[in-house]
Amino acid sequence: MSFRRIRAIARKEFHHILRDRATLILVLFTPTVLLLLMAYALTVDLQHVPLAVLDYDRSPASRAFVEQITAGEDLDLYAQVNSPGELEAMLMRGEIKAALILHPQFAEDLHAARGIPLQVIVDGTEPESGGFAVEQIGRRAEEFVTRALAGRLQTLGLPAGALQPIDLRVRTWYNPGLDPQNDLIPGLVSIILGFPALSVALTLAHEREHGTMEQLMATPVGRAELLLGKMLPYILVGLFNAIFIPLLAILWFDTPFNGSFLLFFLLSAVFLFSILGIGLIVGVFMRTQAAALALSFLLIFFPGFFMTGVFFPIASMPEIVRMEALSLPGTHYAIITRSIFLTGVGLEVLWPYAVMMAGLGFVFVGIAALFFKKRLG
Amino acid sequence: MPEPIIDTHALTRDFGEKRAVDALDLSIRPGELFGLVGPDGAGKTTTLRLLAGLLKVTAGTATVAGYDLVKEPEAIKPRIGYMAQQFSMYGELSVLENLHFFAEIYRVPSGELAARTARLLEFAGLAEFTDRRAAHLSGGMQKKLALACTLIHQPQILLLDEPTTGVDPVSRREFWSILTGLHAQGTTIVVSTPYMDEADRCAVVGLIYQGRLAMCAPPAQIRSRVPGEMVELIPGDGRAARRVLAEMPGVLEIQTYGESLHVLVDSAGRRLPRLEGALREHEIAYKNIRQASPRMEEAFISLLRQMNEDEEE
Repeated sequence: MSFRRIRAIARKEFHHILRDRATLILVLFTPTVLLLLMAYALTVDLQHVPLAVLDYDRSPASRAFVEQITAGEDLDLYAQVNSPGELEAMLMRGEIKAALILHPQFAEDLHAARGIPLQVIVDGTEPESGGFAVEQIGRRAEEFVTRALAGRLQTLGLPAGALQPIDLRVRTWYNPGLDPQNDLIPGLVSIILGFPALSVALTLAHEREHGTMEQLMATPVGRAELLLGKMLPYILVGLFNAIFIPLLAILWFDTPFNGSFLLFFLLSAVFLFSILGIGLIVGVFMRTQAAALALSFLLIFFPGFFMTGVFFPIASMPEIVRMEALSLPGTHYAIITRSIFLTGVGLEVLWPYAVMMAGLGFVFVGIAALFFKKRLG
Repeated sequence: MPEPIIDTHALTRDFGEKRAVDALDLSIRPGELFGLVGPDGAGKTTTLRLLAGLLKVTAGTATVAGYDLVKEPEAIKPRIGYMAQQFSMYGELSVLENLHFFAEIYRVPSGELAARTARLLEFAGLAEFTDRRAAHLSGGMQKKLALACTLIHQPQILLLDEPTTGVDPVSRREFWSILTGLHAQGTTIVVSTPYMDEADRCAVVGLIYQGRLAMCAPPAQIRSRVPGEMVELIPGDGRAARRVLAEMPGVLEIQTYGESLHVLVDSAGRRLPRLEGALREHEIAYKNIRQASPRMEEAFISLLRQMNEDEEE
């Protein structure tokens, strides 16, 4: 193993990254663009769901009720209609996602403290908006009724709290606002920081396509020297991203960062080593850049999204998929990023994941070196 | 006679069902300038790649620079310089950076680096272009850069795969004067070429045909294998002239080169007047008829034709 050769390959690769515009853009800007794009696209922030109301009662009470339902940012009163036919037309045209129908005895039932029938119609083609509308209407209706009845209870000499026998006090730790973005962004960071693996796979295939690999194979350069030399620049590029991307998350998205930045940086280096190992495997087996790109998506990014627990909890996966998920460096790294960002724990908790990633890295690089032959054809 | 520096016995390489190199016996002595010729697809590139340790040997044995090609290909690599047919330098790197890169890969002693690169740049005529990116060099300069890079570690053996294909005639001439210089310094050179004038400049020429070594001899000897003597002429109607001359007694073979016909006859002195008579008789115009000595080109085509006929029998 010659340090001089590794350095020569790494330096040449740096020149390639800096001078080939496509590579430079891929390496420097893609992670930023991806984080911005995905963070906005994937944050399911339901607001202003359009709602139509068919009020058969037309009493001050029913008007006050509708006013309260649509008072917030979440539900917008799209129209007050006079017939079910109008509602249906609006639903079919997609102008509204939900409709509320108040029956003629609304005020009467409220006054008598009877059960009030309330019909909600939702558009099942968009279950998220529909479910959200039902939830909001239910919550608001309860508040409205509670307040309306509170005065009546007092006249009966009962405390207002009698209507709510259980006083549920929920406190969410680590992400107090239960902001979905706070959980999403550290997960995205773990996927995005794996991006240099694609570049390393492409650069090996690039050398094959351009005949420079043939030239290298005719030299005494060792397989390990070549692979390590190829890896080194992309680890450095990855570490640049490991500083820049969390800063972007913190400064742009106000994502909390409770752990140690140094620890995050060091564990990112371990992650890069193991994910680049997969990139090397792809580059060793694929002859063309197109094939390397396709396989990278299959082996690196597809599992990154669906199997590392960023979007779907690993606990809910079938046994065999869970085993596979554990063999992906991204799974461990996703836990690490979320932990360091949100819970702020240190190595005393995270060491098993770091060990797993390092172990996987050695296995991957070993496989790549084993199957990388200094032969053509 | 010194031991051969490249010695192959029944060297064979298959690609699936196809046998690209078939039981090749090559023996190349140190310092020899050896030319590999043969039609496209004959197995020239595969032979050179085998000798460079880039392909697994299917069968047979070989030693290159004293090492077993099958068992220790990595020991051979520091001792050879291999230049692929395709341009295989790094386009984003400058001329100088490419040279330095290969110097580091071959672990050229740092103390010698500056002197060697300066000498090679001068030698290859690239001294003015040290900072130009390799991708922006002309085809001929790219070939010279590739040659300079394969020379940085002063290899004993140079394996060059069609180094002048697609290069303009002036650059071709320059490239060959560099090769001649290296040959004079004692480097063993194996060069494949589609150009017969280049083959003529080699000490020994191996003709490869369908993966086999059909002939291996000095150019003069190959030229002498052309049957009989040669008459050259430029007829007005080539096809008619060919038809008439092919029927003449003593005519062995006719080859067409552009406008002119090269007629191989058993005896030029005896047959030339009769050929002229026959052409006049058939009222076929002609000019510049003369006896000429066969070149590698005629010899090569004649040999290929003979081998094709043997095959068909």
